[in-house]
Amino acid sequence: MRQIVWALGLGAMLTVNATLADAPLTVTQKGLQFSVTELDAKKGQTVVFVNDDHTTHNITVTGDGNGVNVNGGLQPPGGEFRMPFLKAGTYAVTCGIHPKMKLTVVVK
Amino acid sequence: MMNTRSSALAVLLMPVIAVVMVQGALADPANGQSGSAKLQAALADYRRPAKVPAPKSNPVTADKVALGQALFFDPRMSGSGALSCASCHNPGLAWADGLPKGLGHLGGRLGRHTPTILNVAFGEPYFWDGRATTLEDQAKGPLVSSAEMNMPAADAVERVQSIPGYVRMFSQAYPGQPITIDTIAAAIATFERTVLSGTAPFDRWVNGDDAAVSDAAKAGFELFNGKANCSVCHVGWRFSDDGFHDIGLSSADPGRAHIAPGIVQLQQAFKTPTLRNVTQHGPYMHDGSLATLAAVIDHYDAAFVRRPSLDTQMHPLNLNAEEKSELLAFLDSLTSVDTPVTVPVLPH
Repeated sequence: MRQIVWALGLGAMLTVNATLADAPLTVTQKGLQFSVTELDAKKGQTVVFVNDDHTTHNITVTGDGNGVNVNGGLQPPGGEFRMPFLKAGTYAVTCGIHPKMKLTVVVK
Repeated sequence: MMNTRSSALAVLLMPVIAVVMVQGALADPANGQSGSAKLQAALADYRRPAKVPAPKSNPVTADKVALGQALFFDPRMSGSGALSCASCHNPGLAWADGLPKGLGHLGGRLGRHTPTILNVAFGEPYFWDGRATTLEDQAKGPLVSSAEMNMPAADAVERVQSIPGYVRMFSQAYPGQPITIDTIAAAIATFERTVLSGTAPFDRWVNGDDAAVSDAAKAGFELFNGKANCSVCHVGWRFSDDGFHDIGLSSADPGRAHIAPGIVQLQQAFKTPTLRNVTQHGPYMHDGSLATLAAVIDHYDAAFVRRPSLDTQMHPLNLNAEEKSELLAFLDSLTSVDTPVTVPVLPH
């Protein structure tokens, strides 16, 4: 739960900078896959994960040695999870329920 | 892909109508697509892939398969000298053991049901809780577990090195590489990638043979993708999303939550098992608590435990006796008649 709150807190911070940041990137989850397997983002950019499946998903984001470890909780069909990437680095994104779903986000 | 269509099927198809649609005689006025076309589209999602995957780091070769097969069937690879991988993954029992829970070192009862290894090449992550991300890692687990084969890694290497026939086989399979627990596991994993279910009646139906399965099985397929909601997790040609779900069994085993804490839905959640040859590898569920497929259907119909972690797709199905029978007929159509397995003469 603390991780979710932390993520929401980051989201709130992002809204302050939203006008300065690049437009959000959207990744869909459909057919038990992410719409892309690799994604380039800019520091501060938000990625919106959209569940277009008929099953519940989860977004778990782990940074490569930069301390970021976010669990987005349950994401029902049709639901969105917005994740601001505030630190440069390489992030592994997966679904905790369907761990075959994998995405790498590179933030520069 | 399947999930989207399965929802449409759930709304549009009733079993009696479905049989007519199978015959291509009914058009769906709601979207202009014929019932037959919709059915064919649904069936296409269950088409078997042409290639078996293998990691670039451990491609399949005949020498590796032969080595891995010998290791798989060799009881000398256990601390007691009495257990092999095949003791629990018995090819005569659809590569499972037919027991509610497996038997390990010196007959000790294990905590979970032995899953089949049929089509395991496609099924990462491995174990009921997904704790192994590769088949190579999985192959190591039972070998070195003190509760299972009780063969510490160093002992396994020493045992193999003491058998000249194995030393020769390793030099052919992994030239220039030392015998280690990693190469032992890699060989076993390579053999396991060759363990595939054969063509089932359902596959022949998918490939266009309408007479391959009964009308009851066809109606069961519609239920599977519709009212019974099975395909939300049992998706694709192996009938598994390789995901983790709490389906409301009374077991206290934390399952996936032990590996991936922090997600309520993963409490008491276990990997979706394949339904290929499912009539042959009961009893069912991670705890082997349901003896028959009829009991499994009754469980999903209404007998599950309601709790916060219960998968959101679990809800009472209100299936009648005929529908349950049709689902059983469909599940029966997933079993192939496979070529008998030859147990290898082990190296000395």
